[in-house]
Amino acid sequence: MRDLSFGSYFPAISFVHKMDARAKILIAVAYMVAVFLVTAFHFLGFGACLLFVLIATIAAKVPFKLVLKSIKTIIFFVVFSAVLQLFFNKSGTVVFWVITDVGLLNAGFIIARIILIVLGASLLTLTTSPVELADGIEGILYPLKWIKFPVHEFALIMSIALRFIPTLIDETDRIIKAQKARGADFESGNIFKRAKALIPVLIPLLISSFRRADELADAMDSRCYAGSKNRTKYKKMHFTLRDLLGVILVAGLIVGIVFLNNFYLLSELATIAGAL
Amino acid sequence: MSLLEVKNVSFSYEKNKTTIKGVSFSVEKGEFVAIIGHNGSGKSTLAKLLNGLLKPSGGEIIVGGYSSKDKSALFEIRKRVGMVFQNPDNQLIASIVEDDIAFGPENLGIPREEIGERIDFALRSVGMEKFRKASPERLSGGQKQRIAIAGVLALKPHILVLDESTAMLDPQGRKEIAEVVDDLRKQGVAVIAITHYMDEAVKADKILVLDRGEIAISGTPKEVFSQKERLGELGLELPLAGIIAEKLCARGVNVGGVVSETELTEALWKLL
Amino acid sequence: MEIIVKDLTFTYSKKTKSLAFRALSGVSLNVKEGEIFGIIGKTGSGKSTFVQHLNGLIKVQKDSGSIIIGDFDLTDKKCDYKLLRAKVGMMFQYPEHQLFAETVYDDVAFALKNFAPDLTEKEIESRVREAVTITGLNYDLIKEKSPFDLSGGQRRRVAIAGVLVAKPEILILDEPAAGLDPKGKREFLELLLRLKNDFVKTIIIVSHDMNLVAEYCTRAAVFMGGEILATGTPKEIFSDEMLIEKSGLDLPLTASLTEKFKVKGVAVDSDLTVDGFVESLCRALKGGKI
Repeated sequence: MRDLSFGSYFPAISFVHKMDARAKILIAVAYMVAVFLVTAFHFLGFGACLLFVLIATIAAKVPFKLVLKSIKTIIFFVVFSAVLQLFFNKSGTVVFWVITDVGLLNAGFIIARIILIVLGASLLTLTTSPVELADGIEGILYPLKWIKFPVHEFALIMSIALRFIPTLIDETDRIIKAQKARGADFESGNIFKRAKALIPVLIPLLISSFRRADELADAMDSRCYAGSKNRTKYKKMHFTLRDLLGVILVAGLIVGIVFLNNFYLLSELATIAGAL
Repeated sequence: MSLLEVKNVSFSYEKNKTTIKGVSFSVEKGEFVAIIGHNGSGKSTLAKLLNGLLKPSGGEIIVGGYSSKDKSALFEIRKRVGMVFQNPDNQLIASIVEDDIAFGPENLGIPREEIGERIDFALRSVGMEKFRKASPERLSGGQKQRIAIAGVLALKPHILVLDESTAMLDPQGRKEIAEVVDDLRKQGVAVIAITHYMDEAVKADKILVLDRGEIAISGTPKEVFSQKERLGELGLELPLAGIIAEKLCARGVNVGGVVSETELTEALWKLL
Repeated sequence: MEIIVKDLTFTYSKKTKSLAFRALSGVSLNVKEGEIFGIIGKTGSGKSTFVQHLNGLIKVQKDSGSIIIGDFDLTDKKCDYKLLRAKVGMMFQYPEHQLFAETVYDDVAFALKNFAPDLTEKEIESRVREAVTITGLNYDLIKEKSPFDLSGGQRRRVAIAGVLVAKPEILILDEPAAGLDPKGKREFLELLLRLKNDFVKTIIIVSHDMNLVAEYCTRAAVFMGGEILATGTPKEIFSDEMLIEKSGLDLPLTASLTEKFKVKGVAVDSDLTVDGFVESLCRALKGGKI
């Protein structure tokens, strides 16, 4: 079950690992915006995005295999979206059976988009530990403090949730096995029967989660936790030249794509300018 | 002055049902106190009273001059009385060892450079320096529990309370924790261990036997384990070495009231 | 039912080579009906992967050895795992954490309703009553209670009743005494002996507690790195110094004392149970200088 942990942290010492988590999150978001901005000269646009991810992967010293693995987990979603486009897009001319050329193109775009976005997202989680990620989000959300948004609590909740995911996966596994040993059957019957079969798993899981939460609260209290007041942070984030380089690269990507999108407009502008 | 003084402390979760009744004892520097008792005797409740997770309904607990009655002293008490619980998984809050250990010092508002030093110190104390950047989920039970102890040591407590902290560990893990406890005592940290393992209690300087929220017996291991009948009534029994000694005595091999393996062998060598 | 395991090998994440981890390699073992068999070894030695094979929670991988339990051939694709699990009961560590139903009755009846859906409510009731009673609980007092309102020791008993209700011939217990206080532990072990005489035929115990193994097990297998290093009676295992050193196991107190006497030139020959040890020690001492 653990294999499912999508793009979990890959510890290494690299250019990307050393970058500021806030910068990485912002860059990742900007990169995703860039992917969505590609509307003309698709091959060039998507190619530029792919190149960006490739450069980042190399700079992160993350094995390509690991990055590619993240696609495996969403393959169903990709195929599903592509099939929808293939069969239900009625514009354009029919190429084969009910499939139109526009449908075919759109399916291709969707596959490219999803894969590029997942690659970027998994690269972020592969190179940024959950704690850094939580800290990064806290840093980015920091200005929201002005409107009384509990930024610190929000970040802490996230990091604890991340910390407990593997524990709860193990626990679920154990409970399922224990109930199977008592003859529980999770694999046969219709959907209602299967849903009902999950009760003996969900209730113990819920109860144990409450128990864990209770104990965790005691452990945190014992370590003098009192909210964000007067709290220091061991890991301080520094915005460095590395981050600047990343920001410049992603900014270049976006500018490039916007340029491509408006190429006709620009060339027309150029001819007008030339004519003048 | 004692590190910790528990003065006639009572506590009840519900009205008309006292869980802890008039408990008094004190703990000195570097002392090792074991608290034993059957399930439901109030051991864990008592532990939670010691660092202010619960507030006594009667009596008072004094730690380093701070009283449990004084609301503003709560953090001073918690800084001094560190607490480690049973399940290591439920105490670690971060996905990286050093971040987890930093949690306590961060709460105290300690400057960053010093937090780094405290992490070094805490990891060294439990012999886990190599795992600073590791992820707790990949560690063994004993190692996780050592990290949990380090997380508490980073607050530089004077007293460490182990609330059944070895219950879920394998023998290897239990040995690791026992070694850490020995080292800490050498540094002057007092340890209060709540345990079901009689062979752990045997190593203590002082044992408190709890029954229905009261101290039923207290004394050195030898004093406590000499009251076999009474212990039986309290749902406890002798350590295995004591049981063997007793059976030997019953058959005319007089080894006396020994409680540990070392004592038993020494007594037996005298008979050879 | 006899358990015959031949050359069992198991690899986790077999498909992805980079993550593949071999948890068992070439494990062969026979457990005869009527034994209390110990599975011992350090954490991560493959004990738990092994016992989970015995009731089909982990399936035998292709070309990775065989398991035959009574009439069940676990390598056979047609093996009826449900029937197998009714015959081979398994209780995990802290079994009380798996309780879920609103009443003790419903929780205990869960396995029975799964394994034998054709039973009448009356038959179920009598089986539940029997299982709860043998664990030492008062059935009539407890049947309507919520399992979550019980004490830790009671919950543990309800959980074991929930396994026993299916009348397994083989009962596998993973660290059965963990978390119990000394009295609870003793009572629980006495319960096991009682079960052994008139309820289940074979008991397999996975434990780190060597004193427990020496006291109760007829034989044991020592696991290390996914292999069985040795199989034998507690006496055979704990007197083999090389084996103990290699496997990193602790000695039970009786064995460690026997060892010390041996160094002093006094032979104490016992089965390593506490009573057996005391008996032989007295004999050795009285035959000697006292």
